[in-house]
Amino acid sequence: MLPLVALSVLVAVSPAIAVWPLPRQYSTGTTPLRLSPAFHIDLSGIHGAPQDLVAAVARTSNYLRNDKLQALVPDRGASSGNAIRGAKSLNSLTVSLTTSGKVRSISEEAVDDVESRVESYTLTVPADGSPASLKANSTLGLFRGLTTFGQLWYDLNGATYTLEAPFNIVDSPAYPYRGFMLDTARNYFPVADIKRTLDAMSWVKINTFHWHVVDSQSFPLVVPGYTELSQKGAYSAAQVYTPADVKDIVQYAAARGIDVMAEIDTPGHTSIIAKAHPEHIACFEASPWTQFANEPPAGQLRLASSATTNFTTGLLKAAASMFQSKLFSTGGDELNANCYAKDNATQADLAAQQKTLEQALDTFTQATHAGLREVGKRAVVWEEMVLDHQVTLANDTVALVWISSEHVASVAQKGYKLVHAASDYFYLDCGGGGWVGQNVLGNSWCDPFKTWQKSYSFNPTANLTAEQSKLVLGGQHLLWTEQSGPANLDPIVWPRAASSAEVFWSGPGGDVGKALPRLHDVAFRFQQRGVRAIPLQPLWCALRAGKCDLNA
Amino acid sequence: MLPLLLISIAIAPCSVLGLWPIPRNLQTGTTLVKLPSTFDIKVDVNNPPQDLLDAVGRTKSYLQTDKLQRLAVGRGANDSAALGTAPTLPSLCISLLNSAPPRPIAVEAVLPIGTRSEGYSLTVPSDGSSAVLTASSTLGLFRGLTTFGQLWYDNSGTTYTYQAPVKIVNDSPAFPYRGFMLDTARNFFPVSDIKRTLDAMSWVKLNTFHWHVVDSQSFPLDIPAFPELASKGAYSSSEIYSAANVKDIVSYAGARGIDVLMEIDTPGHTTAIAASHPEHIACNQASPWSSFANEPPAGQLRLASAATASFTAQLISSIAQTLPSTLFSTGGDELNINCYVRDPQTQADLSKSGRTLEQALNTFTQSTHKALTDLGKTPVVWEEMVLEHAVTLPQNTVVMVWISSQHAAAVTAKNFRIVHGPSDYFYLDCGTGESIGSDPFANSWCDPFKTWQKAYTFDPLANLSTAQQSLVLGGQQLLWTEQSSPENLDSIVWPRAATSAEVFWTGATLPDGTARNVDAALPRLHDIRYRMVRRGVRAIALQPHFCALRPGVCDLHA
Repeated sequence: MLPLVALSVLVAVSPAIAVWPLPRQYSTGTTPLRLSPAFHIDLSGIHGAPQDLVAAVARTSNYLRNDKLQALVPDRGASSGNAIRGAKSLNSLTVSLTTSGKVRSISEEAVDDVESRVESYTLTVPADGSPASLKANSTLGLFRGLTTFGQLWYDLNGATYTLEAPFNIVDSPAYPYRGFMLDTARNYFPVADIKRTLDAMSWVKINTFHWHVVDSQSFPLVVPGYTELSQKGAYSAAQVYTPADVKDIVQYAAARGIDVMAEIDTPGHTSIIAKAHPEHIACFEASPWTQFANEPPAGQLRLASSATTNFTTGLLKAAASMFQSKLFSTGGDELNANCYAKDNATQADLAAQQKTLEQALDTFTQATHAGLREVGKRAVVWEEMVLDHQVTLANDTVALVWISSEHVASVAQKGYKLVHAASDYFYLDCGGGGWVGQNVLGNSWCDPFKTWQKSYSFNPTANLTAEQSKLVLGGQHLLWTEQSGPANLDPIVWPRAASSAEVFWSGPGGDVGKALPRLHDVAFRFQQRGVRAIPLQPLWCALRAGKCDLNA
Repeated sequence: MLPLLLISIAIAPCSVLGLWPIPRNLQTGTTLVKLPSTFDIKVDVNNPPQDLLDAVGRTKSYLQTDKLQRLAVGRGANDSAALGTAPTLPSLCISLLNSAPPRPIAVEAVLPIGTRSEGYSLTVPSDGSSAVLTASSTLGLFRGLTTFGQLWYDNSGTTYTYQAPVKIVNDSPAFPYRGFMLDTARNFFPVSDIKRTLDAMSWVKLNTFHWHVVDSQSFPLDIPAFPELASKGAYSSSEIYSAANVKDIVSYAGARGIDVLMEIDTPGHTTAIAASHPEHIACNQASPWSSFANEPPAGQLRLASAATASFTAQLISSIAQTLPSTLFSTGGDELNINCYVRDPQTQADLSKSGRTLEQALNTFTQSTHKALTDLGKTPVVWEEMVLEHAVTLPQNTVVMVWISSQHAAAVTAKNFRIVHGPSDYFYLDCGTGESIGSDPFANSWCDPFKTWQKAYTFDPLANLSTAQQSLVLGGQQLLWTEQSSPENLDSIVWPRAATSAEVFWTGATLPDGTARNVDAALPRLHDIRYRMVRRGVRAIALQPHFCALRPGVCDLHA
């Protein structure tokens, strides 16, 4: 394949581009270029540019001014001082749409059906100081291009420069779903933390915020019509997400090209609902919890009860209506059969209806999913709904594969679209020790820690046929927060979660040795922008690419 | 099972005080006592030193600003009614016993290890009379103030305790050395991060900051007689600890009862010296590094060179004399023999003097240690200096056991005093991958992650004879910073590093005589963690908040 060979030649002579995720086609040069003090991003070619694009341009301009990231080389760029002083100046970046017709906002395009979003762009930065050019078929694509543009520059004594002009980048994602999941129920995260995370996600072109908003431990989501749930189930009156907060988060996300896919996990992981509605919860805080749930406290929705089914359907419809996304997750993981076996109400319901538990689960799930369809949503479920239970799911249902990457093929075999979320690659909480009390030498169930190198090595189509491979929407890192809170949100997530962003944007097969210098760049740029990304190596190594490699 | 039911009934109403480390002697009641707005801490000490008055001021400030709610369902709302009529505590009176001299805390904190007086007695009555704190030193008073500050919770603006009367008689540490080590060379930490860490250390009565200040990657320490080391070896001119910074840190630590034990690791871990003195470094950045060092970059002091030995002794003397601590570490870990075998100059030096490498190491070490003993300092070394090399050490040398907890017996068998810092219990960096590049599936060399539970189960006296046990000074958790920086300093250290603080203060048994155990510790560790967060230290959650409010409910067998 000649084009690929030509591409890799291009890559070989210009290994240092620090864009993350790596553009799918690019070339760089060796000419220094600096941003003129009067540098501006020109939107004038877009008639009626939407406000969120204007705001994205303003943010990009701010980053160009304020990143002040020095090059990651031993002298931090000092020896290039003369070259930079003598460099041509870039006065502007011209942004234009390559389609005519109505200009849609980033926010609208970000919540299009996941398979139909247009995120591609073309970016050209000439070496001679003539205007740079960013073109796309969508404002969402333009936003991705602005993100790339913002990663090209370094600071030396106030000069914003690159040593690698010209740039020619033609880019689009390998997979349409690139996500990050945050659990805000085990421990609560203020809106400010979520917004900072959304910013960071957007910097590496992640496009889906999977918000596992409630769980058995707390119910922080204020759902119109169901406000008693958060009133009695939130950790405190201050630890809630009001409809205004949700709207704020959804808008903030969308303006950054991110779709917010919320999850109300059902029928398990719902113990806290009992605080307001004990009638709907089986085995509420039953002891010993190990017999009734995978983690304390025990408690599951009485799925065989028609009242509970109606309640849940109404709740899901009301919650889903708070979000613009087409996707909404009803969860479905870790159902505990013993909980229902020991629950008199459930046993009576089953007997009255002459149903097995599996049949009742099918009825329950079909009801909740029908409710979602009524409000225009597409259901998302954890893998057990496909692999462990006899539940009838709509063909467009999306399955999240979490238990093991080995389960992907089985889910694909059943013909469902899937999102990779394997605990053996993408669980950010693994390896930090067990959190259950009285368990002296317990380590985490999913040991060891998933290094960025491990997740970076993930192959999204391993063991899949060509036909099955088409079912892969993408993938995500996930943070379950039994041992996390605002105190360690940034350091446990970043820069690790950027590794899946590249796997699913640039495609798999990247080499960790080549990725490391760019990932350093991500971490240091994040720090400059106020996200507490951790160092992957001593600074000595970060300034000397390759010197701290295993065989260096 | 009836007994189990009974236990759960007994545990449920009995909340635990959040004291950490738990005093070795403690009696509590069940009465609510609140602080009136006029509450004051009265210092009944003649000519009280300024750092004691400052400590009193900080304690009063914590009482006002902690605003920590009880970790119970309802966050203490159930106390509201009783608080209305609860007795108040008009004041805390602090005084020295037996007309002890009112020396500054900072002076008491740097006395030779083993001679410090950290004990105190504290009573908080429930009858409306004043609380009383007494000690034989200002350092002991400081420890008592720290305990006092952990008794209080907030209920809608009322500061109160719920387990008065509290009586603590002569709470004093089981071990004299309770430390925390920070490596500021792999990645740099600004002074403000170190100060915040010192504050957090003082809250759990840690008394030694082991400062691994320089290493092969960078030399951030400005030593007045050798300014070129930092000017050429620091990561940047802004990533340097100036002499004024060091003085500031030392005095900040001292005022908080913390001795600063600095380490200049020698003769290994010294590549950064080559940036200004290439003549002193063998195998500087030699490749492949794995043949010359345990981690990149390679480079070690030319220990067989008289000039290098003299330079090193002067360097150590120059910095050590600016520090009040009686302890100073010359390191001595991970010496790479191959580096010297391949270094022509070292080989020439050895053959000229007719010595083996081990003999040269002995000469080198005696020279650097003489520089310390001339200043009245006691050398501290890593365990290899005792277990792997034929080096003559002063018998009062303090040895840090790091490779394995199993090595404590061998070191004490040689009759050296030890500090426990074993990687299999106390290394905070383990278990989160490794920093070496191009190594797709590697995890950290000291996997797995050392949980607080693991650290908490450490037995300082395991496998030691009675005579050997007397050589145990204490221990510490350590943060090597290949993958840490200010971004995750708090979250990787706290609250985990508090566990060894209790292991070495409280000792083997709880005040009720039962064995110290993780089950009883968890609610109190939650408490200190939440209090740390209130005070601006980003300590991580150990469990879902749900569990933190319900002691025992999230236990394995609950």
